[in-house]
Amino acid sequence: MRWVKGAALIVATVIPFILPEAYLYILGLAYIFALMVISWDLMVGYTGQVNLGHTTFVGLGAYIAALLQTPLRTGIALHPAISIVTGGAAASAVGLVIGIITLRLRGYYFALVTAILPLVFMQTVFIWRELFGGEEGFTIENTLFTTTLEKYCFSLVVLVASLFVMKKIVDSRIGLRFMAVRDSEELAESLGINTTRYKVLAFVLSSFFAGIAGAMVVNYRFTVSPELYGVPLMLLIILSAVLGGLGTLYGPLIGAIVIYLAKNWWLGDIIRALSLPINDEIVLYAILIAVGILMPEGLYHELKGRWVKSISSGEK
Amino acid sequence: MIETLIKIFLFGAVVGGIWGLVASGFSLIFGVSRILNFAHGAAFVSSAFLAYALVNEGYSLYFAVLAGLMLAAVIGVVVYALTKPVREREVMVIIVTLAFALLVQQILLILFGDRGVSVEPFVKGVAEIGGVKVTHMRLLSFVLAIICLTALEVFITKTNLGKKVMATSQDSRAAMMVGIDIEKMFLLVMVLSSLLAGFAGILYAQIFAVNSEVSLRALIYAFAIVILGGLGSLRGSIAASFIVGYILVITITLLGARWSEFVMLLTIVAILVVKPTGLFGVEE
Repeated sequence: MRWVKGAALIVATVIPFILPEAYLYILGLAYIFALMVISWDLMVGYTGQVNLGHTTFVGLGAYIAALLQTPLRTGIALHPAISIVTGGAAASAVGLVIGIITLRLRGYYFALVTAILPLVFMQTVFIWRELFGGEEGFTIENTLFTTTLEKYCFSLVVLVASLFVMKKIVDSRIGLRFMAVRDSEELAESLGINTTRYKVLAFVLSSFFAGIAGAMVVNYRFTVSPELYGVPLMLLIILSAVLGGLGTLYGPLIGAIVIYLAKNWWLGDIIRALSLPINDEIVLYAILIAVGILMPEGLYHELKGRWVKSISSGEK
Repeated sequence: MIETLIKIFLFGAVVGGIWGLVASGFSLIFGVSRILNFAHGAAFVSSAFLAYALVNEGYSLYFAVLAGLMLAAVIGVVVYALTKPVREREVMVIIVTLAFALLVQQILLILFGDRGVSVEPFVKGVAEIGGVKVTHMRLLSFVLAIICLTALEVFITKTNLGKKVMATSQDSRAAMMVGIDIEKMFLLVMVLSSLLAGFAGILYAQIFAVNSEVSLRALIYAFAIVILGGLGSLRGSIAASFIVGYILVITITLLGARWSEFVMLLTIVAILVVKPTGLFGVEE
């Protein structure tokens, strides 16, 4: 496993010298998208609580960072690095409030409430149009990096650092408690684990990284728009994580990069080439339904299971 | 002032009746099969769009409505079939139904674009109640909604089949042991609820306009209603739909339509803070 990671890192650092700039730009965005997916996995894959409003935190992080970097709108001009962290902190604060209210209740309340959060927060953009810029969004003024190569490296560094932190968390005692909550809440509680506290903790951490990812998107594309709150983005996150395999971090990471590149690179071309009367979203939703039904464990677990089986049968 | 009050009173009843049809089905599906059907709004919009398209093609209104209801029933069967293999995994049930809802939304978007469409109303004309003008269609939709909800209540509590549905809802394993085919009950409830949602969609399109986005927007109201009424409680959700209907109409009258989602969220949060089991819910 170690050499796979090393090889992946080497490929990621060498690739800017090979790939044309336009594709490098998409790949850098794919890394930010991967951060959204693995932070979703931290909550859903490890504690088993279905968060359907992850884009709420992506959007919050994005808008807050954008506003803090645009003196024309708010009169505030913070350093981009500070505004990115503030975006993450604000998202985790909202996550804390929502988490405390909904996660102390068992069952479906968390899924129901998080499902409507993005729809509600999207309305804020239209209600306070002068501030948030309505459906067109707005352009931010001072940014951290300008060239594609710099931005690519920045998103790679943030992704690797965040993955490292999340991996450390899930491998620690805290991560074990997350999984105990997922596998049996009653059992976890009987062992003296305060399940609500750990669910809220996971949610706050997950929201923080989502907020960071949202703020990164803004600093990458220099614009912010309400689609970052959108349900289509939410479904793309879910698709990547489910395809990759929940509760593994690496699976969703690979799923995210593949799905993002597929959506923004190949899929549109294929559909146009075949001149099908559909759009790429329909294809992705159909894939998600198929994966959900046929391989509910995700590709990662499925392949791992087959691999283990083939080894054990080979030994006979 | 008094006119505004009458207006709120009348329109709240109309809106409450329509959302009652949606939420009672949503609640029934959850109660019986423990499925959170995120695709419930798909039946709502699809039937309205089909009825609109057929009326536009020159078919009679009643044929169009019938076809719309058929489509809603088919969607119910599809959702049943999609959720059957993953029913044990609540994460997957939610993901599959949500993906199906968005799939339907995209198809409608390609076929009809994102503008709102209306269906020709059953009745035309305007009545005047206390100085407030109300279209006959709004009054009729309220009456029809009440008839449907009463029929549903009678079906569940009085008929033999309805009692089987209730038994499955209370304890599906025990129901299986006394010889009830619970798969049939799941399918029946799914089709019945989708029909109610489809009918609600057609009524809604006759009064307001539907666009493909409503399939998700409808979920917000359905969630607010079922949480207020208590998850899985049919009577609770019917009562809660009128409360939510009034909250909605008051919000729109006083603050504007943009605020309705916000107020719904606040309502839900307030209920969860004060009384998480809902007004009529039972502890599980």
